[in-house]
Amino acid sequence: MEPLTLDLREDLRRGGEPLPRILQAVDQLAPEQGLRLLTTFEPLPLYAVLGRKGFGHEAIRHGEGDWEIRFRPGAAPAPAKPAAPRGAPAAPSDGWPAPSVFLDNRGLQPPEPMVRILDAFEHLDAGAVLEAVNERDPVFLYPELQARGAAIHTEKVQDGVRLLIRRGG
Amino acid sequence: MITNRLSRWTPLFFLLALVNFVGAQALVLAGVTWPATSLGAAGTLIAIHLLVIGWLLLLVLGALFQFVPVITTLPLGSQAAALVCLVAVEGGLLGMLAGFLGVAGVAPRLAWLLPAGGGVVTTGISIAIWNLGVPLARARPRSLPGRMVTTGLAFLVATVTLGLLFGSVLAAPAAMPGLAPILGGVGEHALAGLGGWFTLTAMGVSYKLLPMFMLAPEDRGALGRWVHVVGATGFTLAVLAGLAAIWLPIAVIVDLRRAGDLAIGLAVALYLWDVRRIYRDRKRVSIELHNGVAIGAFAFLGVAVALAAIAAAVHRLDAVAPSLVFLIVFGWLGGLGIAQLYKIVPFLAWLVRYGGRLGRGPVPRVQDLVRDGAALPWFIAYQVGVSCAAIAAVMHRPVAFRIAMTPVAIATIGLAVEYWRAWHATYAGTAPNAPPAAAAGPVTKHPSLLINRGDRP
Repeated sequence: MEPLTLDLREDLRRGGEPLPRILQAVDQLAPEQGLRLLTTFEPLPLYAVLGRKGFGHEAIRHGEGDWEIRFRPGAAPAPAKPAAPRGAPAAPSDGWPAPSVFLDNRGLQPPEPMVRILDAFEHLDAGAVLEAVNERDPVFLYPELQARGAAIHTEKVQDGVRLLIRRGG
Repeated sequence: MITNRLSRWTPLFFLLALVNFVGAQALVLAGVTWPATSLGAAGTLIAIHLLVIGWLLLLVLGALFQFVPVITTLPLGSQAAALVCLVAVEGGLLGMLAGFLGVAGVAPRLAWLLPAGGGVVTTGISIAIWNLGVPLARARPRSLPGRMVTTGLAFLVATVTLGLLFGSVLAAPAAMPGLAPILGGVGEHALAGLGGWFTLTAMGVSYKLLPMFMLAPEDRGALGRWVHVVGATGFTLAVLAGLAAIWLPIAVIVDLRRAGDLAIGLAVALYLWDVRRIYRDRKRVSIELHNGVAIGAFAFLGVAVALAAIAAAVHRLDAVAPSLVFLIVFGWLGGLGIAQLYKIVPFLAWLVRYGGRLGRGPVPRVQDLVRDGAALPWFIAYQVGVSCAAIAAVMHRPVAFRIAMTPVAIATIGLAVEYWRAWHATYAGTAPNAPPAAAAGPVTKHPSLLINRGDRP
């Protein structure tokens, strides 16, 4: 079956909020039907959101600010752990709960990503996990998180660094 | 897990660097140094080394001790080594300055202090190279800024080696008569130091800092790689062929030297073109004051290279050499230095003061630690003064030069006071109570979908 295509690029460039459209589109999908999103950047946290609804994903970068994300149904729902990139080795974070907070810090000037992450971290429940995507490795953040008893897992992604931060119990 | 801490001694590097900068400017104002006197006069040698070792070297090493770990995401060899380096460089420099008085005949008994002080400075620099080399050698992949800083450090070694040879020959001319002609290589010493070391390093660090704070693409692609390769090749050719030509002034070596000069000019042109791209492609609409002021420094670099090209074409390079050194030291490197300090100092102060309080209550923003309205007049005075002084230097007007340098010296002190205030968060208490940054409104073009708290399972 042909996937449903949603072109969000114009909307995103205007600063629009596409989540309601995406969730609406997901609800309208026929069984076995996929969703094809055209976006201006890779919406990493969306993978976990739709992953919990049983969608696997594939991201294709056509150029600067031009992404195609294909969500396919049928992937086993994976609420127990965050979506790791395909082929990634088992991470120390494998036993962690799914992130309850997502922060996209791309496009923010330092030290804004650090401020945001620490602000969100302080609101986390014990044992909960925060997921953030930064353009740069936030080197000044790590000592601060470690001083607050956080466990941290980082991995390089195509346009930055993905962090999983778990608040100590 | 990566743990990068703040470079503990960097603020002290900056403080001493500024003290040396002001001291050198006092000598300039007193008229005991170039361009009023010759490049070889004691006052000139003292002022030049106060500027390049006391001001620029300490400034750049202090900055690198902080930013090489950021570039490589690896820690320095040792924090304590940075302090030993600082003591050795500043202490050795003071010895060298006394030694210059000795070799100039003002106080002949002090001449031995020139090679001795130079040796102590060299020890300090060796410690710095090891300390920075540890993370730079381990970094994978090697980023463009990291590679450029590594090349810069290689030129630092070359500069210091040449300087030590000069110092030995000047202090004990009879000991090594065969080496005496190397004193004709002062131009190559300056080129290796101001060009290969400071300029390539400043370019490399700017490739990290400019995109970081203007939100421009950090990957400079082929153009960035060309800047590095052409620049490194140019400085290497120019220095080696220039030195070889002292003993063997044959046509092919002189041509190689010219080829090196051309490559340097090309690398600077490519770099300035790329910097223009960074400003043009930035996602942040407003340009912060430090990056606005930096445009002036880039312009001074372009003017210096253009002046060198014109002077070379009419065979007057030697006549404009003092003005070129002035433009590079005060306009380009000094101008970029005072501009970036205006960001680095409050950034470090903010991390030290408020890092532990983030997320636990309202804290000032980095920009609350500075007051642009107070700093802007100083930056303008500095750049206008340097521009006028450069014109006076080219026209050989020593009195006009010193008059033009007066606002530069006052502005340097004024800016040092602003850095001091930033470091002590003097303005933070008077800033409007800043909201937590997370609520400050998105600067990002990305929608709130990816910023909102996700649906809890």
